Amino acid sequence: MDVLPNEEEQMVKNLAREFLEAESPPRLARDMEKDEQGYPPELWNKMAQLGWFGMSIPEAYGGQGLPLTYLALILEEVGRCIAPVPFHSTVVPALTVASDGTEDQRQEVLPRVSQGNLIMTWAFQEQDPRLLPEAVNVQAVADGDSYIISGTKMFVDNFNVAEKCLLACRTAPASTDNQGISLFLVNSNTPGIAHTPLVTLAKDKQSRVEFNQVRVSKSNLVGELNQGWPIAQTMLDQATVLLCAQMVGAARKDIEMAIEYAKNRVAFGRPIGAFQSVQHMCADMTIWVDGAQLLTYEALWKMDQGLPASIEVSQAKAFCNDKCQAAVRSSQVLHGGMGFMMEFDLHLWYRRVTAWTMRLGTSFEHRARVSRALIDQPGKVWLGMDQIPVA
Amino acid sequence: MNFAYTPEQETFREEIRQFIAENVTSEILAEVEESGVRSRGPKTRDMYQKIAGRGWIGISWPKEYGGQGGSRIDQYIVEEEFGRIGVEVGGAGSGAPAILAAGTEEQKKYFLPGLIKGEISFALGFTEPQAGADLAGLQCRAVRDGDEFVINGQKMYTTRAHSGSHIYLMARTDPEAPRHKGISIFLVPMETPGITVRPLWTIQNDPPAPRRTTYGDRRTNEVFFEDVHVPASCMLGEENSGWYVGALGLNLDRVGASRYLLSVQRDEDIINWVKENDMGGYGPSRDPAVRDRLAELWIEAQVCRLMTMRSMSLVERGGTFTYEGSAEKVWAPEHGVKTTETIAQILGSYGQLLSSSEDNIEGGIFAHNLMGAFQSGINHGSAQVMRDQVARRGLGMPRG
Repeated sequence: MDVLPNEEEQMVKNLAREFLEAESPPRLARDMEKDEQGYPPELWNKMAQLGWFGMSIPEAYGGQGLPLTYLALILEEVGRCIAPVPFHSTVVPALTVASDGTEDQRQEVLPRVSQGNLIMTWAFQEQDPRLLPEAVNVQAVADGDSYIISGTKMFVDNFNVAEKCLLACRTAPASTDNQGISLFLVNSNTPGIAHTPLVTLAKDKQSRVEFNQVRVSKSNLVGELNQGWPIAQTMLDQATVLLCAQMVGAARKDIEMAIEYAKNRVAFGRPIGAFQSVQHMCADMTIWVDGAQLLTYEALWKMDQGLPASIEVSQAKAFCNDKCQAAVRSSQVLHGGMGFMMEFDLHLWYRRVTAWTMRLGTSFEHRARVSRALIDQPGKVWLGMDQIPVA
Repeated sequence: MNFAYTPEQETFREEIRQFIAENVTSEILAEVEESGVRSRGPKTRDMYQKIAGRGWIGISWPKEYGGQGGSRIDQYIVEEEFGRIGVEVGGAGSGAPAILAAGTEEQKKYFLPGLIKGEISFALGFTEPQAGADLAGLQCRAVRDGDEFVINGQKMYTTRAHSGSHIYLMARTDPEAPRHKGISIFLVPMETPGITVRPLWTIQNDPPAPRRTTYGDRRTNEVFFEDVHVPASCMLGEENSGWYVGALGLNLDRVGASRYLLSVQRDEDIINWVKENDMGGYGPSRDPAVRDRLAELWIEAQVCRLMTMRSMSLVERGGTFTYEGSAEKVWAPEHGVKTTETIAQILGSYGQLLSSSEDNIEGGIFAHNLMGAFQSGINHGSAQVMRDQVARRGLGMPRG
């Protein structure tokens, strides 16, 4: 039992921070909000040279084969510097291809992702925004050696620059045993696909993507036909915990800025940070982000051990949603009018952390998952038990 | 990072649970509830002897002072498992860390084995009528007289004064010095002539709070010192260094199994209760609002656990706390209060019923918790003082 990063983990984190603080100043995040592509290829290429995209991709496919924790520690720093790169949306489907793709799919995707030559994304959410199998209604219908895909996906991250998209489709009617979902790897330039940019709080690049009779080869099926839900669930859990890491990093930097500001801003003849009301806000903000970080690390650690971790992921995301939001809101409050001003950088962090609370599961959704495990399974529960029984 | 106990530690926990299931009966627990250190009943003494026979007393303490020289995590597991049933085992308790750090060889040899076995326990003589959170303002005087000190003054909210064997007393030895620099600590037997203990009854007394209630103490005390003569050898650490000696113990007192359990046991209790109880068809476990709140409480309780584990990790690494102990002491007690108040809204009218009421729920523990939980955010450093420490020590914010 040692819940703090070990020397190696800390080193990876420190190196990532050093690099990003030099290469990804807030101005870059600001500029990319207005950029059509939304990311600077130079920064992307430098990150690729550091081997970050292949961090948790197996060595046989050009990656480093390291546990997810290492990838998350880097994404924590990416969040800290709000680096505007399609990192999260690329590694998430790549990890799924690594675990569930065919050999051909792995050969096609993974070496290119590791080298930084392939930007990817994935699409799950639709009109019913819940991350549940019954919310998937984009249809894929067999037709000879192909599937014909029709329907609309929402909130697809970086679709504007992604070459490939891992897509959750319905291939059989919704059933109580959660069958009937299948995953397809689709080239985003396939005829019949149209996307519309969404204007979001974070001013990031998300799209509504329409599939109109899109023909995809059967060889693009990832995993077994109709058995895609468990794969998607693992992908969503990984995506969620990696987003938690980003949120923790961004919220930490955000509150550090507020604490620094409070130490220097003079009002009523003293730094406002000398007032206890301000000190106590700062103490709470620190405690909240600490808690979010500890829950995130525990979920990551369980995943890396190959243990069931969906409850831990939900614990982390529900807490991150509530407490990282509260922390960055307090930072805004401490900055007074400054936090509201376009020219001041703080809002870059505030808008991102706030937007991320709404991605990959609301607090209600995640707490519903936790309560199902706690309440609907027989037997007593206690804190620190090895494994919470999962519904 | 490593968030797991080792297989050996897991087995060890199972062994303790089995021991408790086989040996600790409800009659013993009822007797424990009635007894203090000075009045242990025969069943209680017998239980402690069996526990000692397993080598579970003072696991992480040095062998030469009656411990086992083992790991802190093992000790934590013992304290946690016995803590869940409301029995204190072998953590040596308040005062012991400071004695190990600052005591003379004679003091260590005398006090530590007794504290570990539970044959000695300290009443904490810090608080006074005019010195609570602002402890450095304490006025109880100790005046040197040759090889002795003569103590005069009053202590308040001294919970164990009637049950403990000694008092861990902070007194002013130099009234001319700056406040923090004129204080010394004395380890004084409670039966020393001139000490008078007067009970202060709490709101938990009638009817009595059930065992395991958060701050279910039925009484605390006032302690009066009138020309109490003690040998100078009672002093712990250097004369006038008591403020700093006391701080050695306090940080460790604020973390660990027993404080953690104070804040999270009701979370486990209420979840396990709603799973088994339908309340005449209402079914709180099916109520979406209740489910959402229970999950929220559970997640916050996990944060309590992880903060405790963070403190344990720091101790295991041989590091020191900058703000982590204080952070835990803000988060966990306030969480415990939130849980207690949320449970009241789940149970509704039944949540009012105290221990002597026939229709009560779980012996009335949830109702009694409403009278005690908020104390956990006050004792051993209030949440407000702890926030000051997080801000000033942890974040380097300026003093006002």
